[in-house]
Amino acid sequence: MLKNQHNLVGNFLTMLNSTKSSVRDYLIKQLPTATAFINTRFEVVHASDQWIDSFEFSAPEVFGATIFELFGETGERWRPILESCFKGTCSKQNIDSYFNDSGEEVHIQWRNLPWYDENENIVGAIIQNQDVTQRIVNEQKLVKLGAFLDEKSKTAKIGSWELDINRNIWWCSMTKEILGVPESYIPSQESILSFFKEGESQQKMIKVTKLALEKGKPWSDKFQIITKNGEEKWVICTGNPLYQNGETTGLIGTFRDITEKVNQDAKSKEKEHLLQTLIDHLPINVFIKDTKARKILANKHELEFFGLQHENQILGKDDSHFITGESLKACLADDFYVIEKGKAILKKENTVVLNNGKEVTFSTSKIPLLDEDKNVIGLVGISLDISDQKVKEEELRRLINVTSLQNKKLVDFAHIISHNLRSHAANFSMLLEFLVTEKDKDEKQNITQMLVKASDGLLESLDNLNGVVAISTNINIDKKQINLSKSINKTANQLSDLLLKNNVTFINNVTESVVVKAIPEYLENILNNFITNGVKYRESTRDSFVKFKTTKEENYTVLSIEDNGIGIDLKKHGDKMFGMYKTFHHNEDAKGIGLFFTKKQIEAMNGKVEVYSEVGVGTTFKIYFNDKS
Amino acid sequence: MTKVNSIFIVDDDPITVFGIRKILNSIVDCNQIETFGNGKLAIDAIKNILENNGEIPEIIFLDINMPIMDGWQFMEEFINLPIEMRVRINVITSSIATADLDNWENYRKKTHHIVDYANKPVKRSEITKITKPA
Repeated sequence: MLKNQHNLVGNFLTMLNSTKSSVRDYLIKQLPTATAFINTRFEVVHASDQWIDSFEFSAPEVFGATIFELFGETGERWRPILESCFKGTCSKQNIDSYFNDSGEEVHIQWRNLPWYDENENIVGAIIQNQDVTQRIVNEQKLVKLGAFLDEKSKTAKIGSWELDINRNIWWCSMTKEILGVPESYIPSQESILSFFKEGESQQKMIKVTKLALEKGKPWSDKFQIITKNGEEKWVICTGNPLYQNGETTGLIGTFRDITEKVNQDAKSKEKEHLLQTLIDHLPINVFIKDTKARKILANKHELEFFGLQHENQILGKDDSHFITGESLKACLADDFYVIEKGKAILKKENTVVLNNGKEVTFSTSKIPLLDEDKNVIGLVGISLDISDQKVKEEELRRLINVTSLQNKKLVDFAHIISHNLRSHAANFSMLLEFLVTEKDKDEKQNITQMLVKASDGLLESLDNLNGVVAISTNINIDKKQINLSKSINKTANQLSDLLLKNNVTFINNVTESVVVKAIPEYLENILNNFITNGVKYRESTRDSFVKFKTTKEENYTVLSIEDNGIGIDLKKHGDKMFGMYKTFHHNEDAKGIGLFFTKKQIEAMNGKVEVYSEVGVGTTFKIYFNDKS
Repeated sequence: MTKVNSIFIVDDDPITVFGIRKILNSIVDCNQIETFGNGKLAIDAIKNILENNGEIPEIIFLDINMPIMDGWQFMEEFINLPIEMRVRINVITSSIATADLDNWENYRKKTHHIVDYANKPVKRSEITKITKPA
């Protein structure tokens, strides 16, 4: 460019020399560059307006004045250069910097050439000046900008790239650093794709580049790249088309390493997922409520518990939508206690009544939820359904009761046996002692007979005890469905002689369809016993009857056996009524074993027996047959 | 031989009654030995005697396990009867239940009558010891 300028000036001067002086003056005056002609005495002969203006001289003063007069010291510096110019040497292009009157730094680029006349004799020198202040400032600015950009790109890890009109690719050093290639690496259109991970990232890069070049569409997208050493990274690559005359001439863009952020995001997402999975799959109800006790989070278990499909069905609602009655009041009171006092309630047992009437017992903890400033912004609730546990506790308590009752019965039974056998043993012992010492033959005979009687008594006792043991140990005998009415009739038929002989009327009011679960032998014995009892303890002064009927009570079919016999004083004898060897009437047939057996057999069938009686009026026994077990 | 005016035996077991009677016959001189099958019969008889100013038995042999009214129920009624004289009550039982021993202790303290306690089988030596008017 400078060379061209030189030629241009040369041609122009040749042209100038061949024109008349006045015309020459005029032409020089109008030269677009700052140019001055000085003679060998260093006096200004010609000068363009540009030259005069650029040094802020005034036209008439300039002409005839020497360079030294005009520029002072600076002019002196030019003397040797100008002198060598007078000898035919072109000076190099120089830049002089100085501060002008306003104190601004000014940069002047200058060059001196020898001034030839028509005969190629050197008559002076031509000085060309150019104010390059703006250019110098711009250059400095550019250098600064470059430094800034470098710094920024290093700090933000943002690289840049360019695809120029000739399809050459340029990467900045940060881009190269991200891609793990040395500073000297020269990318090519063929090689760049290999940095993008095969599959989605590569395909996407091809697509966006094509769209940008053909349609001028910019992009900003996430890509997975593989560096030179095989490391996988995530980058955001942007691309913007460059236009010239409406044509896309190239692309420029940025290249940002976001691997760390992506990894962090993935990590926090993973953590979030873990937490969510945990909350959802905990086999307990987990919920979060806001300060108005409305649920703002509920885990799967909580939703399933209320029979809901989606979180939306529960969010924003307080417990009044799910719980009723007193239990609701208690729940809300707890919620607001935690919210207002900021104190936790831990493992509180509460039984709630759901809208569908179902009762559930929970062990609930409610913990205040605090923000960073320790303000309560809600509560976290954890509820464990302990209904089953409660039922089991109840069952356990019941079993303990049954066991202790059984134990008591066992002790009682042991006493009965002990007492019974001791009585017989005592009799044997006594009689044998008599027998040994007795002299009288008849009395010996008498004692022997008594021994036989004692022996029979012992055998009978053993038989009875055996019976009790049999009932108590055979509780697993299968029960059968038995038609009660038919059974009663059958037993009454077998006892018809007894009933007839004692003039006792038998009344069966049991509905024909009633069926009970019972052991047939036991049922027969029980019915036999009660009918016989009715006859034994009839009041002979009136027309006697034994009446059967059934009623239903929860889980039980109840058979009532009513008579109008002599009755019994339950206050006196109630506790012993069903005891072994207890008799309460002056009745030769009373052995005190019938009711004892009957009760054992009823109990062995998971039933129970009750007695109502009034002396002189009659007695009613109620036998409960268990429908379930 | 000890002389006793009246003795009651309250027991539902005929063999025991036989035994006690047999022993008594050989150790005491008593014209009136009566037997009752349960407490109710005995207490009724005593009440009857009281009404007619008859002779209250000096010694009562009392069984515990009996139908209708057992030994302790009899005892409860007996100690509340207006009987000034001291009657010797010999509880004769085959029971070894502590509840019965407790009852015995209890009644012994509650009454001015003499209450003794002996386990079956009855022995001549024992009966001899406890068969004398209080």
